[in-house]
Amino acid sequence: MTTLSGERRRKTAVRGSVLLLALAAFLLPLAWTLLASLGVVPDNNKRPPSWTGSITFDHFSEVGVAEPGFWEELATSTVSAAFATTLAIACAFLAAYCLARTRFHGRRLVTQGFLVLASLPAMAYVIPLSDVMRRIHLADTLAGVVLAEAAVTAPLAVYVLYGAIAQLSPEWEEAAVLDGAGLFRVMGQVVLPLVGPSVAATSIVLFAIDWNLLLVPLVLTSGDVKTVPVAMSDFFTFERDLDWSTAAAALVASVLPVALLVAASHRLVERFRLEQDNARDIG
Amino acid sequence: MKLTRRDRIVLLSPVVLLLLAGLVGPALIGLVATATTYSPFATKVEFAGVKNYLTVLQDPQFLPSLRNIVVFTLVAVPLELSIGFALAYVLREPIAGRPVWMVLLLLPWLISPIAIGVMWHFLFGSAAGILDFVGAWFGQSEVASPISDVRLALAAAIAVEVWRMSPFVTFLLLPSLSSVPAERWEEASLDGASTAHRILRIAVPAVRPVLLTIAMLLIGLSLGTFDIVLILTGGGPGTATLTPALYSYAQAFQVNDWPAGAAGGWLIAAAVLAVGAVYMRLARRGVEE
Repeated sequence: MTTLSGERRRKTAVRGSVLLLALAAFLLPLAWTLLASLGVVPDNNKRPPSWTGSITFDHFSEVGVAEPGFWEELATSTVSAAFATTLAIACAFLAAYCLARTRFHGRRLVTQGFLVLASLPAMAYVIPLSDVMRRIHLADTLAGVVLAEAAVTAPLAVYVLYGAIAQLSPEWEEAAVLDGAGLFRVMGQVVLPLVGPSVAATSIVLFAIDWNLLLVPLVLTSGDVKTVPVAMSDFFTFERDLDWSTAAAALVASVLPVALLVAASHRLVERFRLEQDNARDIG
Repeated sequence: MKLTRRDRIVLLSPVVLLLLAGLVGPALIGLVATATTYSPFATKVEFAGVKNYLTVLQDPQFLPSLRNIVVFTLVAVPLELSIGFALAYVLREPIAGRPVWMVLLLLPWLISPIAIGVMWHFLFGSAAGILDFVGAWFGQSEVASPISDVRLALAAAIAVEVWRMSPFVTFLLLPSLSSVPAERWEEASLDGASTAHRILRIAVPAVRPVLLTIAMLLIGLSLGTFDIVLILTGGGPGTATLTPALYSYAQAFQVNDWPAGAAGGWLIAAAVLAVGAVYMRLARRGVEE
């Protein structure tokens, strides 16, 4: 027994060190940026190099000076991502339920087709999309951005929610039907509560994707509606000599909302599943 | 419950309309438009056949971008999958503070690729960056930024993408790996199975279907690489990090050769659809086994 527990202790030590190494590699660049945003930067002239500067929040107010619209752009990003997520999830939930409860030949091909659509890079269709949006007078409007962002993310949501609903046993729904419930009552009062965690997890992932989209809002807008990634790309394309600490503060401010959202709801986010139960799904 | 024909129409039409308006429709319009001389401000439209595609394929700018994206995808995706898998393997059993580690590890993916480009632009290049700091430890006064070196720029862009996406792969793999019953790992330890055995015989089979799905997503998105290189290198130096997506964007919105840009976009779509067809075949085989 002693050898086994010794073995176990050795394994835990190995796992712990691999994890620490990985965390260091993935988080060091972020820590570097966070320190710079607080005014702490390295001084390479000293031997050995050291850190200078004391902690200050001034660089965050400089963001608003360098890019006066920054706080408004944060609001635009939040609103458009929230609406786009809601729209995509609503459409995807209906479609996923329909696919999960309809047996037909080639159903797997259809769900996998949604995954292929989810893998399609925006560049594959944004050039004609910007033309279409201009012609239907949705260019440079919030509605246009919301519609396009919802379309980008809906295929992934269909794929994931289909996986969640297909695993449910249909008995609950049948019981509700016997009680006289109609389609939307069954979906709203039986199915939705059962897959609630999956729906919430998918919504958070979709919100993060929408929040960070660049190409779609970039080609659809020309100044009236501006999300944070579009503002950043404009800004850094034309003024590359920006002060690093101010840039770092803008980066930190741009990720903080989604980071807090994910941290606050990490138990839900963990329920995000790409895998599908193949055993139930031949046909 | 049993769905009637009317139910199905009601349930499916929102997503169909959404995709027709915002994704599939524009893509198909683009396909038709690139067979003509159409551009948003053209007064006369004529049939052009495959001429736009030939223009793109013969453009001396496009071929390097094609080479770059093939290298980028072939190097980045396997690295992302293996690093992501290794981390998920380490995190598969509950470990103190796992939720916290997972949220922290997700941070690189939660930052917009454009912000990541800005960040690494400074971290690689500026006096306040990481490279100069490490260099200073070894007595070097200034380290040349890899993103302004023709030979290193693509490797640097790949490194940034791997840094960004690997932890996300871990996040996607973790549920499948941690759902392997604890007894299976126990049995393997009692049998004295090596780590390699545990990885190949237990871990890999458990995640194979979802690994295939993740690979599909990563390959597709990597073929359209745009945001991450836009600020980091802008496609340069020269054409060292130019991608087909950067090329198409520049053609359509900067050079004002709309048909060439749309055709470039469709070449990306065609590549992803071809990968998608392979994915569907492989996924099907997985079910039949």
